[in-house]
Amino acid sequence: MIRRCFQVAARLGHHRGLLEAPHILPRLNPASAFGSSTDSMFSRFLPEKTDLKDYALPNASWCSDMLSLYQEFLEKTKSSGWIKLPSFKSNRDHIQGLKLPSGLAVSSDKGDCRIFTRCIQVEGQGFEYVIFFQPTQKKSVCLFQPGPYLEGPPGFAHGGSLAAMMDETFSKTAFLAGEGLFTLSLNIRFKNLIPVGSLVVMDVEVDKIEDQKLYMSCIAHSRDQQTVYAKSSGVFLQLQLEEESPQ
Amino acid sequence: MLRSCAARLRTLWALCRPPVGRRLPGSVPRPELRSFSSEEVILKDCSVPNPSWNKDLRLLFDQFMKKCEDGSWKRLPSYKRTPTERIQDFKTRFLDPKLMKEEQMSQAQLFTRSFDDGLGFEYVMFYNDIEKRMVCLFQGGPYLEGPPGFIHGGAIATMIDSTVGMCAMMAGGIVMTANLNINYKRPIPLCSVVMINSQLDKVEGRKFFVSCNVQSVDEKTLYSEATSLFIKLNPAKSLT
Repeated sequence: MIRRCFQVAARLGHHRGLLEAPHILPRLNPASAFGSSTDSMFSRFLPEKTDLKDYALPNASWCSDMLSLYQEFLEKTKSSGWIKLPSFKSNRDHIQGLKLPSGLAVSSDKGDCRIFTRCIQVEGQGFEYVIFFQPTQKKSVCLFQPGPYLEGPPGFAHGGSLAAMMDETFSKTAFLAGEGLFTLSLNIRFKNLIPVGSLVVMDVEVDKIEDQKLYMSCIAHSRDQQTVYAKSSGVFLQLQLEEESPQ
Repeated sequence: MLRSCAARLRTLWALCRPPVGRRLPGSVPRPELRSFSSEEVILKDCSVPNPSWNKDLRLLFDQFMKKCEDGSWKRLPSYKRTPTERIQDFKTRFLDPKLMKEEQMSQAQLFTRSFDDGLGFEYVMFYNDIEKRMVCLFQGGPYLEGPPGFIHGGAIATMIDSTVGMCAMMAGGIVMTANLNINYKRPIPLCSVVMINSQLDKVEGRKFFVSCNVQSVDEKTLYSEATSLFIKLNPAKSLT
């Protein structure tokens, strides 16, 4: 059943499959789990009160560049509509009360699951990052500092760690900008190696939303813009989450 | 009398003292890093079965070990850290020595080996030199989650990058990823086993073109496809 769902989804290249078979994958419907307003979606994603630990907050491992840029963006959250996204240990915490569409949801008693980009919890050793999102412009900025456990070539971040950070930023942007849920494609052009412990600024934009796909692009660069680390584009599949059945 | 007592005490103390693990220069043993600072852990080959490997992974491992018997395939060992000699070699050939921080290097670990057994990337790579093929058997653990119950797209990208990168390295020595292009067809369930089958397609000067696909154990499900370009590093040009 899962395979069939994705065979249908994979035919998005021709678009017809999804549109002709609404009974397999739910069509986007205003009267859905999110309601008609983005407010309710945001309030689910950004709970006002929560006991969950937010990992996207400054700690002792953050370099001075990252701290000062973080402050600049905090100012923008007050003045120009930017939102600082919380970052919990598991993606499940971000969608409480919701689940993947039936057919895709897998019961998971795998024990302690963690979102990949929060896999290493020791401060400063793995992914240190925070994402700011601007809903009207459909833009995101991710401040990313790779730690020594993300090493690839000696002294530099593993290419996969940047790919992961790009995929994650695309993922949260796609989710909030248009209910994007699964990566369809990722295309990364690496330009320069990233020294471990340095700050990477990632600018992400939603270029277009078409035929239930979100198209985004990203430029990862140094704070002073003098070094471009990589450029990438990502395409995500729009899919609505469903309400979890009351237990 | 006191002198002989002191001598005896000193011998006793020397015998009771715990063996000192060799610590890398400049590093301070912190509780959370203690398990990684001893020589034995760093030099442990991680690409062999451990209790977290599920049935599928063990079966595939045995199948490929059989293929190694006639020498056409070779299993690649995999360590938590690049051996010191290789680090020195890389530094002297490609880096500006003034800019590298010694302290950071000593804490570093290869990203794909930064996890305890079964939690992250469990994998082993096999190489066929004649066909220029690198196969990676990969089991993704619960710390690699993306959508609930599935592996994060970035974790898949990391494993693809590692596999095609190794394939390029076998042919070209020290290389750097230039392009990585991944098409995700189906999400991979957490804790399942997949085969990443990569192939060196073409070499043009310092450019190495490698493609791969990610399949289920029975080869009936195609999860993703990728193409990549690696560039052989030029020792004449510094990276920093």
